[in-house]
Amino acid sequence: MQDIQRKQVLLVGNPNVGKSTVFNALCNKKQKTGNYAGVTVASHSGYYTYKNEEVEVVDLPGSYSIYPSSEDEAIFSKFVIDHQQDYAGVIYILEALSLKRGLLLFQQIQDLGVPMILVVNQVDQAEKRGITIDVEKFSEALGIKIIRTNAKEQIGINDIKEAVLHNTFVKAEKQTFETPNEHKDFIHKVAAHKGIDNEYKAWLSLSLGTDLGKISSVVEQLNEPDSKSLVPKRLQVQETVRRYQHADTILSDVISKKPQFKELLTEKLDRVLVHKFWGYVVFMMILLVIFQSVFFLAEYPMNWIDSLFAWLSAFTGEHLPEGPINSLISKGIVPGIGGIVIFAPQIGILLYFLYLLEDSGYMARVVFLMDRILRPFGLNGKSIVPLVSGTACAIPAVISTRNIENLKERLLTILVTPFMTCSARLPVYSIIIGLIISDDTVLGIKYKALVLMGMYLLGFVVALLSAAVLNKFIKNKGKTYLVMDLPTYKKPLFAYDLKMVLGKVWDFITGAGKIIFIVSIIIWFLSYFGPKQSSDQWVATNVELDHSYLAKMGRGIEPVISPLGYDWKMGVGILTSFVAREVFVGTMSTLYSLEDDAPEVKVIDKMRRDVKPNGEKVFSFATGVSVLLFYAFAMQCISTLAVVYRETKSWKWTAFQVAMMTGLAYFVSMLAYQILK
Amino acid sequence: MALKENGLHKLSGFPKNRMGKILGYDNDSLAMPNKIIEMGLLPETSFRILYQAPFSGPMYVEFGNEKSRIALREEEGDFIIVEELN
Repeated sequence: MQDIQRKQVLLVGNPNVGKSTVFNALCNKKQKTGNYAGVTVASHSGYYTYKNEEVEVVDLPGSYSIYPSSEDEAIFSKFVIDHQQDYAGVIYILEALSLKRGLLLFQQIQDLGVPMILVVNQVDQAEKRGITIDVEKFSEALGIKIIRTNAKEQIGINDIKEAVLHNTFVKAEKQTFETPNEHKDFIHKVAAHKGIDNEYKAWLSLSLGTDLGKISSVVEQLNEPDSKSLVPKRLQVQETVRRYQHADTILSDVISKKPQFKELLTEKLDRVLVHKFWGYVVFMMILLVIFQSVFFLAEYPMNWIDSLFAWLSAFTGEHLPEGPINSLISKGIVPGIGGIVIFAPQIGILLYFLYLLEDSGYMARVVFLMDRILRPFGLNGKSIVPLVSGTACAIPAVISTRNIENLKERLLTILVTPFMTCSARLPVYSIIIGLIISDDTVLGIKYKALVLMGMYLLGFVVALLSAAVLNKFIKNKGKTYLVMDLPTYKKPLFAYDLKMVLGKVWDFITGAGKIIFIVSIIIWFLSYFGPKQSSDQWVATNVELDHSYLAKMGRGIEPVISPLGYDWKMGVGILTSFVAREVFVGTMSTLYSLEDDAPEVKVIDKMRRDVKPNGEKVFSFATGVSVLLFYAFAMQCISTLAVVYRETKSWKWTAFQVAMMTGLAYFVSMLAYQILK
Repeated sequence: MALKENGLHKLSGFPKNRMGKILGYDNDSLAMPNKIIEMGLLPETSFRILYQAPFSGPMYVEFGNEKSRIALREEEGDFIIVEELN
């Protein structure tokens, strides 16, 4: 029996009004970050307990209007409408500097009959600009109590908690939006016919033009003469303009403005950051700093992790009883998992930078700078965010396409983002580059580093080129546009972002760890057993690797992979990589440590020495290049596929992406091998 | 052309760093994204174009009493009819 009923409240507002700051201040201790593997409607929710009441706060994506123009806004609107019975009310955040814009969505939600608490954040910021807000009058005009906050300084947070505790959520007494007279009768008819008790919802069933959650559109069922005057888009414009006019009358009494005001930091910064020339220079510098940190700063923790797993491997090897299990654990599972954990620092650093940039408001400027450059490729300025985050991991990157309004641009971005060099490719690249590229330097820079840089560049170029090609073949759906708020710069939430990053990194380690654990066991199993060799055996156990089931399977696919220059072991490595790319390293270490002729030799040296039956090196320069290209292009990540399917809602495009990427990978790798061998 | 003769302009092509005022929209075909209105670019709103990205890229527009900032492309600016303020 649960004594306390948990109360659910929604946190709602325009983007960039300090919603996450309020969220963080409310649920300081208990939060769960959005888990992108499952289907999560809300980006995340957090909990707090105040005077014995437990409250769940759902942080919804920011939106400007109940009429969604992009996927994340659709998620927001659906949640607010469909779950109206489940939550106690909405905490609506207004930013003092953009009250008018914020009132639009506020009154729309109010008109849905949702009980609300109104919060005005950053009143001090407005005062700096010479804008004084008469909060008393404002509250009176809206008929709702207003809580003033400065979430960064924790001011007003307790007032919010107190208001939630006492359920001071207010429902509007009457609809603020005056339905246009010419449609009134019709609206009432629709409401009566459909059994809708809320006039605004009846209006929405006309003005939405499509279904939105529980509100189903009635436009298709209209008679010819009706539908002429009821163009959904026109109705939306009508509503928006009326609401703004209403807001104007309210605010004219509430806001007073001094003519002079101090220049904001934002204005000073933007003179450089969106400058025709310096803007791009700064962006390149920032990217350089990020990648520099990813490779050099991450080296220290990576070395610690490396030594830890080396020690663990030696320890288990020594202390476990001799035999196959010993080799499975000490040489298969432990190095396999270690091979992944070692990349956690790089992923973490990359993600952390991206979060900080997003938080500070800088990302919107990057979109502004990149829009014109990306458009010839069929992409939108907003595509730059997924493309850059794709260098960490394609999964959050694909999800971040949700704010691209145009469906074609969004689809193109989703299709090409997995070409960006994600961190799962790093372990494969490192090991192959280590095998085929010499330690020499040119101008003090290691060849190895140059090749790695080249792989990153290759991913980006191929992403753009394939977008340009696909752009020619995919039909356009709807108009493309860029209408985007440029928020004031804010100091990023360093601690909060760090917490989010650590959560994501932990998800990555546990997720990949589980897969590698299972794959290692399967591989060990298949390599330990083989087809029976005499008639009295069921299966042969403890066979030589060359006679195992695994070898049999690997040889089965050899005809397909030999044009690319791979032997059966690499074939197995590539097959298992279709679960996730980084599994390749785990598979290789398992496979090579199973050859127990020289147990003391390092896996990488065994790989270097390995020869094909004809005496050629297995990892020659040609094969190495072929593997690099294969991993650069092939779609080998089940989690990304799952997310692509969820975001595109189409098997066709998901299958197309696999075929396009893997087909390209096969072709290019074969070409490279055949030329170089 | 007809617009210019009446002393009216479109937002795209409006000179940088001059104060202007939005008069209305050229939206008979309903092709204008509603987001323009939702973001607050309404008639009677004053504005100033501060920057534009190279090669006729997006415009950086400051508008309204609250001095909000918005980025929009020239194509979107074509829908918005404006006049110059002195």
